[in-house]
Amino acid sequence: MDKRTTHFGYQEVPVEEKADRVAQVFHSVAARYDVMNDLMSFGVHRLWKRLTLERAGVRPGHHVLDIAGGTGDLALKFSRLVGPRGRVVLADINASMLRVGRDKLLDNGVGDNVEYVQANAETLPFADNSFDCITIAFGLRNVTDKDAALRSMARVLKPGGRLLVLEFSKPASAALSRLYDEYSFRVLPRMGEWVAQDGESYRYLAESIRMHPDQETLKAMMEDAGLERVEYTNMTGGVVALHRGIKL
Amino acid sequence: MPVMFTTLLASAETLINGLLKHDPASPSRLAQLAGQRVSLRLERPALAVLVHFDTHGITLLSQHDPDEADSDVVVELDAETLGALLGGERVEALMFAGRLSVRGRTHVLERASQLLSDLEIDWEAELAHWLGDMPAHSLSQGLRRLNRFGLRTRGELQRDVHEYLTEEARLLPSRTQWEIAREHLTQLGLATDRLEARLDRLVREIERRRQEEHAS
Repeated sequence: MDKRTTHFGYQEVPVEEKADRVAQVFHSVAARYDVMNDLMSFGVHRLWKRLTLERAGVRPGHHVLDIAGGTGDLALKFSRLVGPRGRVVLADINASMLRVGRDKLLDNGVGDNVEYVQANAETLPFADNSFDCITIAFGLRNVTDKDAALRSMARVLKPGGRLLVLEFSKPASAALSRLYDEYSFRVLPRMGEWVAQDGESYRYLAESIRMHPDQETLKAMMEDAGLERVEYTNMTGGVVALHRGIKL
Repeated sequence: MPVMFTTLLASAETLINGLLKHDPASPSRLAQLAGQRVSLRLERPALAVLVHFDTHGITLLSQHDPDEADSDVVVELDAETLGALLGGERVEALMFAGRLSVRGRTHVLERASQLLSDLEIDWEAELAHWLGDMPAHSLSQGLRRLNRFGLRTRGELQRDVHEYLTEEARLLPSRTQWEIAREHLTQLGLATDRLEARLDRLVREIERRRQEEHAS
């Protein structure tokens, strides 16, 4: 791969173009993001996020950063767990997603302990050692330079803090993998076409999942970024994996 | 197993929060508990659940690496005691009966238990939301009468069955007979312990004398 290009699904695009292309995808799907997530995963994405919440070990008074927080599913729960003494920052590079997330949180009576920041995960605009916990759920694969993003997250994490990466991964069995491929490339784009009137964005989703590093590669990347005790948990047969690392 | 348990907890959380929303007294009770955490640790099966309270309701989380510092109070119990606790049994009664081990701020547990046991759902208001005031009121009155009838009938049935089994059929002992039998069994247990201690002492004495004879 040329140094000046990167993946956008199965396409090779100039590095500087990827962020804009990803932004277009999410501007397009933001309004129907939650509905589509429920439809595509049959509601199981809520369970994956709940397991992330359990592994986060967040306590009252903690400072939490939810990167690529999208429509605020995790931030909503975190805001209740950290309480009025704590702080939750919902960060997303995409203004449309951030707006949908902010509206959803306000509708749920959350306001005083949540901040909304439009930020690029590769260059997080926070001081070193600021957060007790950082989560990025289904966002890392859309980042242009994943290593830079992981280093940036490790930088703003407090010593003893945890980084949790919830992301699509590689199914453990070949049979499930074939079934998953059929579903991703045949059903998902059609579902996107019918519900969100945007089949292309959901084709990108399926392609970007295949181009994302597998469990062991991502674990090594997190270790390279300076995180320790990195471990991962496969969910739904490895379709999704939750990686957790600690900054010591 | 972890996914199944997490699904179960998610369902329980939704159910409990749904019920709390319909109790007019819940907001003030939740405000008192906001920010507090109770860790429930079941012995068999070995499970740990963190109950987090906030002004909106509760959050139930499975604890994968239980840590005492995560919660204000830690409760260790078995499945039967958990059932009794959820059924409205008082925390103190279970603690004094030795069925509940509690560490930390016990008043948090007491308040948490009251939140659930004193739940009074305003069904009439909820029905009125769907049916209108008058039909909801009539329906609620009917349901209340039915509930009172059910409670009265259950009480009478329990008393009649108890009377038949103890007094007429004589299949079960009366409370007094049961207490006397238990007292006798306790005395028998103590006497057996004493006898066992005496026998042990005699065995030791015989052993000592035998060793002395060998020595001389």
